[in-house]
Amino acid sequence: MIDSFWGNIFRGPDKEKENIRKTLKKIPIFEGLTKKELAAVERILHRREYKSGEIIFYQGEPAAGMYIIEQGKVKVYLEATQQVLVELHDGDFFGELGLLDDSPRSATVIATMDSTMLGLFKTDLLELISHSPRLGVKIILQLSTVLGRRLRKSNDQVQALQVKLHTLTQKRKANAGKTDAKEQ
Amino acid sequence: MRKSNNRWKKIALGGAIGLAVLGFLVLIGDLVKLFIISAILAYLLDPLVTSLEGRGLNRLQATATLYILLSMVLGGLLFLLMPALASEFQALQTGLDIEKTMTFLDKVEKLIVSWLKFLGIRNLNLSQKFGQAMVDYGNQVFSNLLSVVTLITNLVLIPLMAFFLLKDWRAIKKRLISLVPNRYFEFVLILIYKIDQQTGRYIRGQVLDAIIIGILATFALWLLEVRYFVVIGAFTGVANLIPYVGPISGAILAISVTLIETGDFIHAVYVAIAFSIVELADKALVQPNVVAKAVNLPPLLIIVVIIIGGKFFGVLGMLLSVPVTGALKVSLQEGYKIFRQYRFS
Repeated sequence: MIDSFWGNIFRGPDKEKENIRKTLKKIPIFEGLTKKELAAVERILHRREYKSGEIIFYQGEPAAGMYIIEQGKVKVYLEATQQVLVELHDGDFFGELGLLDDSPRSATVIATMDSTMLGLFKTDLLELISHSPRLGVKIILQLSTVLGRRLRKSNDQVQALQVKLHTLTQKRKANAGKTDAKEQ
Repeated sequence: MRKSNNRWKKIALGGAIGLAVLGFLVLIGDLVKLFIISAILAYLLDPLVTSLEGRGLNRLQATATLYILLSMVLGGLLFLLMPALASEFQALQTGLDIEKTMTFLDKVEKLIVSWLKFLGIRNLNLSQKFGQAMVDYGNQVFSNLLSVVTLITNLVLIPLMAFFLLKDWRAIKKRLISLVPNRYFEFVLILIYKIDQQTGRYIRGQVLDAIIIGILATFALWLLEVRYFVVIGAFTGVANLIPYVGPISGAILAISVTLIETGDFIHAVYVAIAFSIVELADKALVQPNVVAKAVNLPPLLIIVVIIIGGKFFGVLGMLLSVPVTGALKVSLQEGYKIFRQYRFS
């Protein structure tokens, strides 16, 4: 306990900033940003520490924005079924849809070990857009690219499932036809 | 049962803390007044600083640039208008024709006495009371000189506080939010943003409305050749910040000056009509477009807060009470709306 206290004191803000910048560079949303622009993004981020087992947000609550995992591990699950959708760790991000629309959170997220998150929120992004429109557009464009890529992947999955479903329906029809013929 | 007991304890504790904070604020009243005026100034200037930031300046450069530009504009205006304003103020100080006023007051007194004879009123001594008031005014000049020092200090302090609020508000906000526990952090973040937006829109709307009314009233009074039209017009604009009382007091001032100066009732009726038109234009055209629609304060509440503001903070308190109450109402409304969407147990 005392060690971590002194550790935090001596780690200092510079080391912290360096860690944040390293994490940001790995996130596709901030790809292609200059050092100065990354510093501007860093200024609007909120660094939060979560204990293992602490809820980050609940399904159904207003979506305020996204979180980047600087260090740690989280579990994303559905409230009703407790079904785990995905487990995320260092460098992953979640809740990015909250930056764009007003619909509520679609799942609950819980920290499964002591974790440090960087929160980027819609309110701060809107302010950033109003005072640095060029940087705002860059981030929104990158965000759209990420979401577009994800949408394309979902579309491909849906298409593959549709083809599978179609084949299965055809097979079932063929099988039903054979059984009818045998019975006659 | 224990849970509801705890809730009441929390409410009682919250109320006690609220009262203590309010008491503390009343005790340091002057500082609170300064802070509120600085915050209002910062809210007015914030969109300009933000738009300068959009042109590639950082927050400090943008704020400093705006201050330099504003001082140049204000300096230029003062340089151009000073001779006219100075002569108007001088005329206001020396030009109050005592003899004319006494005759006018005698006339008014006779009129009132003839109307209210049935109440047993025979003598109001209006002119004598006016004379006494003039003597008191003369005695007050010395204490006014002392308050000039405070005024100059405030004139320096307010822009300075507004400067730091403009420059550092985002950092202050971030630091405050970092103190909030994880569970309430998103809620507070959204709440502060909404309050900030709505309060800014409300204050900018009110001040813009006051400026438009001030200009319209000045123009109308200039057309009607009322003396001291700039001072009365400006007074009407500022007074417009106080609903009900403001517009009427501007009109009463203008009508009284017209009556004292010219003694012509028809002229005074024209002034009254002009003020009614300005008021109508305000209600029909200016307010619906400029003032935030969400902030509708009930008339009784407005009167109560004006009285409370006046009691604790004087004339300035009366002026600030309605905008501050408006901002508080917006905060409570938004807070409740967002709070309901969260699952706080």
